[in-house]
Amino acid sequence: MKKKYLYILAFVIIAILGYNSVYFKKLSDVKNANKENFDFKAYADSIYYKGILKSKKTIALTNLIASVKTNQDEAFKKYGNRLGIGNSAYFMIKSTGKIIDIKDGIYTIADEKNGVVYIDTKYIFGNALRDASGLVKLTDFKTNAQFNKVSESLNDIVRNEVVPKEIKKVKIGDSISFSGAIKLSKKQILFTDLLIIPSQIKLQ
Amino acid sequence: MTISLNHPIIKKSQSLIALFLLCLFISLLSDKFMTSTNLWNVLRQISVNVCISVGMTLVVLMAGIDLSVGSVLGLTAAICAGLLKSGLSFESMDLFVGFSVLGAILAAILIGMALGLFNGWVITKFSIPPFVATLAMLTIARGLTMLYTAGIPISNLGPEFEFIGSGWILGIPVPVWISLFMVLIVVFLTKKTTFGRYIYAIGGNEKAAFLSGISINKIKLAVYGIAGMMAAVGGILVTSRLNSAQPNAGMSYELDSIAAVVIGGTSLSGGVGTVAGTVIGAVIIGVLNNGLVLLDVSPFWQQVVKGIVILLAVIIDKMNQKNK
Repeated sequence: MKKKYLYILAFVIIAILGYNSVYFKKLSDVKNANKENFDFKAYADSIYYKGILKSKKTIALTNLIASVKTNQDEAFKKYGNRLGIGNSAYFMIKSTGKIIDIKDGIYTIADEKNGVVYIDTKYIFGNALRDASGLVKLTDFKTNAQFNKVSESLNDIVRNEVVPKEIKKVKIGDSISFSGAIKLSKKQILFTDLLIIPSQIKLQ
Repeated sequence: MTISLNHPIIKKSQSLIALFLLCLFISLLSDKFMTSTNLWNVLRQISVNVCISVGMTLVVLMAGIDLSVGSVLGLTAAICAGLLKSGLSFESMDLFVGFSVLGAILAAILIGMALGLFNGWVITKFSIPPFVATLAMLTIARGLTMLYTAGIPISNLGPEFEFIGSGWILGIPVPVWISLFMVLIVVFLTKKTTFGRYIYAIGGNEKAAFLSGISINKIKLAVYGIAGMMAAVGGILVTSRLNSAQPNAGMSYELDSIAAVVIGGTSLSGGVGTVAGTVIGAVIIGVLNNGLVLLDVSPFWQQVVKGIVILLAVIIDKMNQKNK
């Protein structure tokens, strides 16, 4: 008799847990509701043209190096952007220099004040531009995939629209001004062989 | 009256004394250690290891080992996040099954338990050494996690779920409450039930336990099931704390949990040890991790130090056994 009540009690508990655990819907309704109507291209356009190009957080590379050497934590806080916790951060920098080599889309620049730096004009992938801009927040998007689509669209603009137009005009020996994203880690800060994901390259 | 180092009270409190000395040492070198923010942070961090380690304690008490807890944690964390975020879709039936926070948590716990039971089944059915069986599960679960997540984190799981890992209740972080609850359950199991006594009996002498009529296979199955379940609870805590399931979550957590168990005085040969000891072991590991970070010790040296501490704990355990 006791067992019977125990089974009934177990059944009731399982039923309550089950009822509060899952819900059912028509898959087609869910798909329709989730259809994306967000224009990533337009969003990335506005981030690039109204945000990145006009950003006041873009710092001259020389100043960033000096700032990091003076007070690393303060420099990372003031000029760096990162999504979560960790030692690495992205920075939007600008500088000038002379093109001394071009190989496989990598422009080697003799930066007047900061030695040799490299600008990658071919492999503009990843989240460097999005994260360095500090203008796009993960919480603004429902899914990680959508958040990453912003990077994709932003990279597409720079890779397909901006960089090709600008690098057409430059050759080895030319002096250029440039801006772009770099990644630095607090644990190992190296300002040699900096690889820059460009946001802009201009013939001087 | 003088108390020698061999005094039973000193021997029983070895882990506690070690923890006290460690805290004293770190607080002398870093003024940030003894701040309430840091101490709550340490407790929040160790909650995951406490959950896994109390499950591992049962396994080790039975003279077994479970190397798969870290991977099971990763897989259950990913499934929990995946179900919460995307539910289950059945194209042919035009059916979508959505999961509430409670549903996703229950599913993760059940899957963790199922994986643990599978470990137990392989070990008992085929007489495969636990080390090998759980090593296989370690790889299987890690692979399944990568397949399920496609190597991409599952993020933005909502504020309700995030509360589990980041919230506070009565001034204490929620993960601390959860781990405390898990500890109490396992303490009750080991101290107040015949099931608990059977675990000690099997660990002490499996043959004698068998001859006295204990159903060894059933107990082993249950213990590995509990270890899997505890790993799943750890997975839920990790995921909710980050509000994101990382494909590599739980990597090498099994080592931290084994370390906590050993440092806490549970004998790797089984039959001897307590859940309370394991909790102290987990706190020692957590404090050690925190202290090394506060003291700005290189991550490479941190691993060396942790290894030495584990080695010392095992040596002390062996010496204690010899003295007996």
